[in-house]
Amino acid sequence: MPFHLTDEQEIMRAAVRQFAEAEVKPLAAVLDREHRPPLETIPKLADLGVLGMTIPPDYGGSGTDYLSFILALEELARVCATTAVMVEVHASLVATSILHFGDQAQKTRYLPELAAGRLIGAFALTEPGAGSDAAALTTRAEVDGDDFVLNGQKIFITNGGFAGVFLVLAKTSPEAGSKSISAFLVDRDRPGLSVGEPERKMGIRGSSTVSLLFDDLRVPRSALLGQLGQGFSIAMRSLDGGRTGIAAQALGIAQGAYEEAVAYAKQRVQFGQPIARLQAIQWLIADMATDLEAGRLLVYQAADLEDRGLPFSDVAAKAKLFCGPMASRVTHSALQILGGNGYTEAYPVERMCRDARITEIYEGTNEIQRLVIARAALR
Amino acid sequence: MRIVVAHKWAADPQEAIVTSDGRIDQSRAQPCLSEYDAVAIALARGLADSVGAELVGLSVGGPEAASPLATKTALARGLDSILVLADQALASADSTTTAQALAAAVTELGDVALVLTGDCSIDRGARMTPAVLGGLLGWVTLTEVSALSLDRTSLTVERELEHGRQTLVLSPPAVLAVAAGAVEAPAPGMRDVLAAARKPVRQLALDQFDGDWGPLGQVQDRTLAPAPDRRGIVIATTDPTAAAAELIARLERDGLTWAGRP
Repeated sequence: MPFHLTDEQEIMRAAVRQFAEAEVKPLAAVLDREHRPPLETIPKLADLGVLGMTIPPDYGGSGTDYLSFILALEELARVCATTAVMVEVHASLVATSILHFGDQAQKTRYLPELAAGRLIGAFALTEPGAGSDAAALTTRAEVDGDDFVLNGQKIFITNGGFAGVFLVLAKTSPEAGSKSISAFLVDRDRPGLSVGEPERKMGIRGSSTVSLLFDDLRVPRSALLGQLGQGFSIAMRSLDGGRTGIAAQALGIAQGAYEEAVAYAKQRVQFGQPIARLQAIQWLIADMATDLEAGRLLVYQAADLEDRGLPFSDVAAKAKLFCGPMASRVTHSALQILGGNGYTEAYPVERMCRDARITEIYEGTNEIQRLVIARAALR
Repeated sequence: MRIVVAHKWAADPQEAIVTSDGRIDQSRAQPCLSEYDAVAIALARGLADSVGAELVGLSVGGPEAASPLATKTALARGLDSILVLADQALASADSTTTAQALAAAVTELGDVALVLTGDCSIDRGARMTPAVLGGLLGWVTLTEVSALSLDRTSLTVERELEHGRQTLVLSPPAVLAVAAGAVEAPAPGMRDVLAAARKPVRQLALDQFDGDWGPLGQVQDRTLAPAPDRRGIVIATTDPTAAAAELIARLERDGLTWAGRP
């Protein structure tokens, strides 16, 4: 199936690439080395309109289609996976959830702040005992007068170190099952919220990944997102779109590594000729190019289906299932082409290898994607 | 009052390839808006806002210059509207023919105080078009323009030259070629891209103008890439300090760097 981008999508992609080359790429190695998030890039991403791509103009966003947002993520990840995942969680998991499930007051309060980058969003689902089995979460939100009182722990919360608002999933009834879970918008300055130290990670080292502790954290009833008991379906809907976003991140990482490998192969001379003339290298390049093309079609198709209001959940899962391992394959092939140089920090490929691995894990492991795909196929 | 930016939709030199016989092949390169023209648009946008002028883009070239991708790309950079003169006869036009077409379009548009161009085109790089255009219009023409201000009667132009910064005060109209680094040309915002589709695009036809638009003004580009200058020099020492010193000395000797100046 041929896939043609619109003029606007092409221009936005070029604009984000120009921005990424100028503002994001020079920071990528620094963020990785210093294990710190790209806070200085947030106002620039807001000015460019990227933080508000999933938010309509009525709420201060740029209101693009989802495929344009996916292209932006791909371009950011091409040079810096850390920056890409910060934007993905903020604009896809959090802003989109508020847009789809928030009441008017919540939209008016949060969406303009999120679009302007004055607030960054974080998505708090995972717990020590609830990873792939998200419904097993134990954080409680108990009614107390007009308030809910939250107690529990979350882990691996992206953007958690600096986010201004957390979308928190918690149990609002003691029964088991997804209907017992509700979603809340929790402001960072709420008493009772403790933020842990950032995790030291293999890749996406600049991404702020923290634990959260809720100790009698009190929120008003107006903090409830959607209906009581709707939290799990909100989370699953958010993660459906998020899967396409992480697939785009994986695609971008792979594209960046591929370009590094091609450029290196053309200029690296061994046996009296550029190694690009050696069949062993050509075959690696051919496989990488084929992987990228296939992954790109899946990712764009998933985003396009979402834009057209068609079922996209299983295609998004396929995109993520393909692109995560694909990014691992492509980055490792790139490192092989760069040889000893690729193994050093003088080139970005070793970082890309480390960054790629997480795309097979977060926002649904490969195994969970297979579950989603098989359920759709066997329905 | 109108300020016009003449810009070109041309093959992206980043996508050009060097063939085995050393020829630069742009046939498979995707077209794009010249990075130099983006600088001219950014400078002109600031000037137009400061005096309340209308900022009009003007693009002359082959049929692809009128494509929606070409016009929206330029409009997203901040132009208010765009005027396109696209014809196959202009696809490979030389500087003189291009300038004639630009002059005809500027005259047709009317009420133009300034025409700005980029430092040079990305495909030819001849730096001739602004001068020929100024001559055809009978307007003052300046190159290497780094800053501008305009009031009702006078135009102040600053130029960064090798021997210093030159400030000139003159009366419009004028043709000004903007220096490549005059201002930053940031990426267009997502909202600007979406807004571009709603801005006016007006197309002119070549046959509405008198002139000889025949093949005499066509250029067949056969640019050869510079021969690689690989000397195979090996600095044979295991002492990094000595190696660095010898590298610096060699670079200085070849005029590629120098010591004693910031």
